Amino acid sequence: MTIKKLVALGLSAAMVASMTAAPVFAAEEADPAAQFEGLKANEAYEFPMMVKSFQSTYWQAAVEGMQKAADELGVTFTPQGPNSESDIADQVNMINTAIAAKPVGMGLAACDTSSVTEALQKCVDDGIPVVTFDTGVSDAPEGSVVAEVVTDNAQAGSVAAENMYAAIKDVIANAEGQVIIGEINQDATAQNIQLRGAGFINKMIELIKADGKTVAVAGNEFYVNAAEGADAEEADADVVIQVAVPAQTTVELCSTEAQAILSKENCIAVFGSNQVAAEGVLAANANLNVLGSDAAAGDVIGVGFDAGSIIKAAVQDGTFLGAVTQSPLMMGYYAIYALTAAANGDEVEDVPTAGYWYDSTNMEDESIAPNLYD
Amino acid sequence: MGEVILTMKDIDKSFPGVHALDHVNFEVKRGEVHALMGENGAGKSTLMKVLTGIYQKDSGSIVYKGKETEFHNTREAQDAGVVIVHQELNMVGDLTVAQNIFIGREPKKGFRIDDKKMIEESKKLFQELNIEIDPREKMHNLTVGKQQMCEIAKAISHKAEVIIFDEPSAALTEKEIADLFVIIRDLREKGLGIVYISHRMDEIKVITDRVTVMRDGGYVGTLITKDSTKEDIINMMVGRVIYEDPKQHSMVAPDAPVVLKVEHLNAGKMVQDVSFELRKGEILGFSGLMGAGRTETARALFGADPKQSGKISVMGKDGQLREVTINSPQDAVKYGIGYLSEDRRRYGCVVQKSCIENTTLATMEQFTKGFLIDSAKEKEVTEKYIKELATKTPTADQLVVNLSGGNQQKVVIAKWLTRDSDILIFDEPTRGIDVGAKNEIYKLMNKLAAEGKSIIMISSEMTEVLRMSDRIIIMCEGKVTGNIDISEATQENIMDKATRSID
Amino acid sequence: MTKKKKSILSDQRFIVLLVVIALTAIFSFMSKEFRQYNTMLSLLDFSYYDLLMAIGVTFPLITGGVDLSIGTGMVCYALIGGTLIRSHGMPVIVAMLVCVLLGVLIGTLNGVLIGVMNLPPFLATLCTCMITRGAGSLCTATPWPGLTQEGGWFHSIFKLTIGTGRSADRYPIGFLWMVILVLLMEFVLNHTKFGRYTIAIGSNKEAAALSGINVKFYHVMVYVVCGLFTGLAAIAYAAVTPTVQPGTGAGLEMDAIGGVFVGGVAATGGYGSVLGTFVGIFVIMLLKTGLPYIGLQANWQQIITGLVLIVAVLIDIIKEKKAAAL
Repeated sequence: MTIKKLVALGLSAAMVASMTAAPVFAAEEADPAAQFEGLKANEAYEFPMMVKSFQSTYWQAAVEGMQKAADELGVTFTPQGPNSESDIADQVNMINTAIAAKPVGMGLAACDTSSVTEALQKCVDDGIPVVTFDTGVSDAPEGSVVAEVVTDNAQAGSVAAENMYAAIKDVIANAEGQVIIGEINQDATAQNIQLRGAGFINKMIELIKADGKTVAVAGNEFYVNAAEGADAEEADADVVIQVAVPAQTTVELCSTEAQAILSKENCIAVFGSNQVAAEGVLAANANLNVLGSDAAAGDVIGVGFDAGSIIKAAVQDGTFLGAVTQSPLMMGYYAIYALTAAANGDEVEDVPTAGYWYDSTNMEDESIAPNLYD
Repeated sequence: MGEVILTMKDIDKSFPGVHALDHVNFEVKRGEVHALMGENGAGKSTLMKVLTGIYQKDSGSIVYKGKETEFHNTREAQDAGVVIVHQELNMVGDLTVAQNIFIGREPKKGFRIDDKKMIEESKKLFQELNIEIDPREKMHNLTVGKQQMCEIAKAISHKAEVIIFDEPSAALTEKEIADLFVIIRDLREKGLGIVYISHRMDEIKVITDRVTVMRDGGYVGTLITKDSTKEDIINMMVGRVIYEDPKQHSMVAPDAPVVLKVEHLNAGKMVQDVSFELRKGEILGFSGLMGAGRTETARALFGADPKQSGKISVMGKDGQLREVTINSPQDAVKYGIGYLSEDRRRYGCVVQKSCIENTTLATMEQFTKGFLIDSAKEKEVTEKYIKELATKTPTADQLVVNLSGGNQQKVVIAKWLTRDSDILIFDEPTRGIDVGAKNEIYKLMNKLAAEGKSIIMISSEMTEVLRMSDRIIIMCEGKVTGNIDISEATQENIMDKATRSID
Repeated sequence: MTKKKKSILSDQRFIVLLVVIALTAIFSFMSKEFRQYNTMLSLLDFSYYDLLMAIGVTFPLITGGVDLSIGTGMVCYALIGGTLIRSHGMPVIVAMLVCVLLGVLIGTLNGVLIGVMNLPPFLATLCTCMITRGAGSLCTATPWPGLTQEGGWFHSIFKLTIGTGRSADRYPIGFLWMVILVLLMEFVLNHTKFGRYTIAIGSNKEAAALSGINVKFYHVMVYVVCGLFTGLAAIAYAAVTPTVQPGTGAGLEMDAIGGVFVGGVAATGGYGSVLGTFVGIFVIMLLKTGLPYIGLQANWQQIITGLVLIVAVLIDIIKEKKAAAL
């Protein structure tokens, strides 16, 4: 192991330590859980909980968290979700059906934030309090969403950028020509992916510019427009952040997009912004074999998002430098608490949950391990 | 009868290889019902298609209401008041009666279809015709007879002055026919010219004023109905021409065994209580008019269509006649029956495939070793039959679609010979085949019969029936109306039986 | 009538092969990343399941039918196989056999619905498409064992890896199996009773039935063969997809069916070849893989693929018109 690598590792470890000890929000707000202290359910409430799908163990971890809270509070819930995260219409139907039954409150992780406005308006009319979790609905009708239990996705994206930049800083500084940083987003419609993707890009731009290099954003239009502070044209920037979005949210299409970026000689790093995108990056790497944790030796630095056994294994063996995990468990847990409070008639405040950086050194830590679902 | 409203004079029309209309004359007067008669293929339909603009005449003149006229499509003819009521009704079952009557010319109210007006107008039409039909009823809920009334109402709504009825009674019950005649008489009273095409001699006598007879695309003559007998009309239809070498007597030995016995076969409306026997080496002709139920009988016998009842016995390889169950073509093929469809392109052969593939289609198991097809053997056998049947094809690999009709037929015959079928059903064996090739097919059939194959030949051509058959079964409206030996057969007695309604 | 010498240029398969070569040339010329061994390797990796589905669905398409259930079916079998390995500790070989077995089972169901009960193929397979999609969603996302994990040997069926990590040599031996399977099925199509009857059913089902062929049985078999290949595709899919996601798979059949049509199967049935399917799939794969390399956004990729399909089907229709005019 080179000295440089040791330094880099130490640096990121220090960063992780600081973050796990004091997540960004914790500093801004008092413990978000404090508002639920001593909470008891007035009745045996039953909440429909709309997840985006049961596709990945991510959502199962969320359901696990809900179960834990429900057991503590003595309430019940029914998790529901469409076949896949892209089945927007199916989810809207399920939501409408659930509303028709007039529940005392509803948890919602919307597949497509713009498609649920009508349903949310109905909730206002019928007096059904809604707690959104995992994904917020920014343009929700007044009074429909009583609280959000979401990861601060912009923050989570910037965590990925900070950790990645630490590893590639020297490569950028010493580069002779243009270098490329890739970002694979599974779509450009879901708010959490949008925020996360843009959060990564903006933080990266900030860091690169701070070190006196020029930067441009290219590729998918949504993200190019969402980027702030890019100061150069694609042709002559020192660093180009190349954003790719596949036609469908499948691993194989993410992989094809990742391949096209990874196979460029001047590609130095790539970020997959959720489980599907990150697995796409890994699938692309299966043949290219360019990912590694030693940027100085020419490895392309890979950073993932979320967990799952494939990403965990990649982080473990150094294929990925690391990844950012959300806490689906905590989001599910707090969503039930927030709903119970709302059903009791209490005022509820938003409960932001953090995105945590993890790599091979801290995966087993008590504060990280429970969120690393398979 | 009033003045002449329509005159067709010296109408001539040819299609590639066929002289369909040979200087035909025809006229209709106001207030008359004029029958147009003739055998299948005599040219009645073609003449009416020329009149209504579906076909364009090659020469001749059409004078309608005193003016030289030529319609270029049915729309033009309709607008001028010449309307045809087809044998197959052209109605959209899922639309209402009113919607059907006004289809293509719906009254509008702004951008909207004016349904109210449509229903009103339809009611008026039905009142005029003195029939009771609710214009709001869906078409498919009506009986065939009622549907036909709607078709007539539709014709009237076009301000028709000449209405052509193309075999209107074919699908109707006695009661419905009576109703229809009331309407037709009423229209006649109103001074319309009516053309009535039918095969039913009895109806012709009842409803028509004059009869024009056609034969082989030519005009034979026009008679006043009440002054002529049924025999007069039949004589005109079959003609006095002596056809070339009709068979004088049966070629079958008197003691030839029965190879196929059909008893009381019933299959839908078109096959009612059909019984007959086929003997070894016999060519059994099936004669009758279009829609008499001959093809339906063959398909039911072959297992291609379901049957309700009946007993079929086939002679086995041991010479014993045994009752068999035929529920599918597979069963029929197993008992040595082969069927050569009237519609070769649709049912007979796989035209986009080669002669080889068609020849071996029914007998694949003879050409397979384990899983594999023995291509060499396929080729050998196909080439053998190409030679034997004198099929004109450059190679055995030629696609059947590229062969002439006669040669396509030979490929189909080869298919059944490969199968070693003892009973062959030829359905219109020479339809669409030119004269030279016809003779070859005839020779081939005679040769097959001489070799001991038994043949059922369904044919609408009188010449063909008289030339080929040893015995003739005549069918009319799903029933067998005659079974005569060739030595007693004449065109007249066949036509008489073929036009005889049994009831 | 004289026999016309058949020009190789009139063979759609040859034209499509030229398209494959042209596309490869264009992409290689426009992108230096594209002309790498690794890119070819990835392209092949992701082509196997498409190709296996396509070989299978060639048969229903030749009969004038279709099988819409192959995409969701494939994912469903891979999920069930993965669950057996992960949650029930079954060996990989058992999961593979289960995939094939399930494929044959659903294929038989399709066949019976279509061949015996006379449901329109579109409708029947739309139903099984939904059924397999739902059945797959009952499982959770399940990765099959990775290359280095226990049971990871099955990856070697498709790609032989000698050595580890960056120094490893990789050989796409899956391509060899594909060539063998394609030649085998081309042979089956042209030289066995099953193949001959498949074509006959597509060309003129009535005539085939009136020739005494057991049309029902062979119609069912056509879908069974399709199902069998879908089962094989599930294994190839599991080998390249890190985590098989429940609820996905709808839409994957379109790539396969599109490839078959590009390869020259008549849109109305009755004509087709497995070799054509083979080259047709590579047109689809090249477009899917190559367009991102020249910097085209995802939506354009689908538009272009759609346009290519229209051209391919038009060629077929023009050809048929010419044949009819003879």
